[in-house]
Amino acid sequence: MASAIKTEGLTKYYGSLLRKPVVGVEDLTLDVKMGQVYGLVGPNGSGKTTTLKLLLGLIFPTRGTMTLLGRDVRDPASRQRVGFLPDGPYFYDHLNADELLSFYGGLFGLSGAELRKRSDELLEMVGMAGPERRRRIREYSKGMIQRVGVAQALINDPDVVLLDEPTAGLDPIGAMQIREIMFRLRDRGKTVFLCSHLLGEIERICDNVTILNEGCTVRQGAVQDLVEPGEGYMVEGREVDNEGEQAIRELADSIETGDGLLQAVASDQDKAVAIAQQISENGGEVVSLSRRRRTLEDIFIETIRGGRE
Amino acid sequence: MRIVLHLAEQTVREAMRRRFLNVILLFSIVMIGASSMFSQWAPGAELKMMLDTGLGFIRFFGMLMAVFIGAMLIPTEVETKTAYVLLSKPVTRWHFLLGKFLGAFATVGINVLIMGGVFVLVMFLKRGTFEAVPNLYSNLAYAVVLLACEMLVLLSITVMVSTIASWIFTSVFAFFVYFAGHVSASLKHLATPEYYESPLARGMIKVLYVVLPHFEDFDVREPIIVGDPLEWSIVSGTIGLGLLYAGIMITLGWLFFSEREV
Repeated sequence: MASAIKTEGLTKYYGSLLRKPVVGVEDLTLDVKMGQVYGLVGPNGSGKTTTLKLLLGLIFPTRGTMTLLGRDVRDPASRQRVGFLPDGPYFYDHLNADELLSFYGGLFGLSGAELRKRSDELLEMVGMAGPERRRRIREYSKGMIQRVGVAQALINDPDVVLLDEPTAGLDPIGAMQIREIMFRLRDRGKTVFLCSHLLGEIERICDNVTILNEGCTVRQGAVQDLVEPGEGYMVEGREVDNEGEQAIRELADSIETGDGLLQAVASDQDKAVAIAQQISENGGEVVSLSRRRRTLEDIFIETIRGGRE
Repeated sequence: MRIVLHLAEQTVREAMRRRFLNVILLFSIVMIGASSMFSQWAPGAELKMMLDTGLGFIRFFGMLMAVFIGAMLIPTEVETKTAYVLLSKPVTRWHFLLGKFLGAFATVGINVLIMGGVFVLVMFLKRGTFEAVPNLYSNLAYAVVLLACEMLVLLSITVMVSTIASWIFTSVFAFFVYFAGHVSASLKHLATPEYYESPLARGMIKVLYVVLPHFEDFDVREPIIVGDPLEWSIVSGTIGLGLLYAGIMITLGWLFFSEREV
């Protein structure tokens, strides 16, 4: 499969001759295939935004190579089929949503009925097709700006969409709408490159992920592989009496209680079923029985604490 | 070129919606309108007074517009991060700079033409006083065009500096260059042993003479007063030199900006 985004040994040091260089990103190698939803995660200052700015030619690498849709990023044509939503986007606030989309669409050579149709579709998609589309952007809330930002990123019907913290600062409904848009883009076969520190979001949406810390890659791979099921089973129950708890302790590898909830970890399936039976027989209620699973958040915290691989 | 013109159009639209620009324009129109009153204070030299005040106001307000619009053109885009989104499109640094510059010049040029139009109207209303002056209106038209060209040169210097400096520094620098540019012709006389013995000092003055724009060349009040027709060949030569100077400045600005990280 062709690469949508490819970097090799991408390195960016900030600083001058008089100051010690600061690592923006170091030796980053990415190969994002067409149609993938790729997540770049890391704590603040880990190099996510630096990577995006390098890919878009806003800043220049200290060393390394980058291509977007097979073209060197220094070639402006590499951005013809690319959409970008920056973190905390700023737009010309004297324009309204219609004018903004018309302006950005014009940069891609869109005009007339085609541009109007595309603007209408996008504003409809981001829930801004009402009278607010004719209000000046300076009157918009943060959520509205973010939604218009998503619309402008898609004005050229891009093959690759780069999103920097797309749900940051949005209320739960707004964040959900943006997530739905990302799912829709994925379903339409678009390549989505998502920078975020919202790990639940990344886990739900992305196929592959790179975890950055202090500019360095600390983990890379398919989300499915990273969050593969852990060992053992988790049984959760409520209202378990002391006698039942005692019996469960003998079966479980570990047990935690609190707020009326009992969480027991069993090494195999038979023991997990036995624990569930104990809960029922002792007047309790089985809340769940599942394979133990490491979330991306577990992996993230583990790798960030552990440093580089 | 499509992208450059699209950016220029957007820049004009943005500038026209700025309140301070509208206030300057309104104020300048009032002042130019009032220039006919000033002429009454100089009996026998009404035309000179009218030209000094009317064209002086156009020059002053045009200069304010050129400096402030030019100084804020690039730094504001970078500081407010609107440049992020713009340059993430298939827009080169050259498109960006040239489009913004042309838009800014169109804005300043339109305003200079409006002010010039008001001034010509004021002159026309006082036609009884100046009917004996030959070539008045054609000369005035040339004067306004040359003023617009002067603003083009000033704007190009301002935009060039703004690609590497803050808007405050750029504004101060531009004002300095503007005033220095109005006395730069005298530098040629200063670069003589009569004034400076040191060859180094004379050399530096000569360099300044060559580098600084010669804004006096755009001032044609004398021939208007005398009534000499302004020759198109001379006017076009001055405009050509202005365009060349502005072209060099914008190319320099592009060289700086293409190396700048945003």
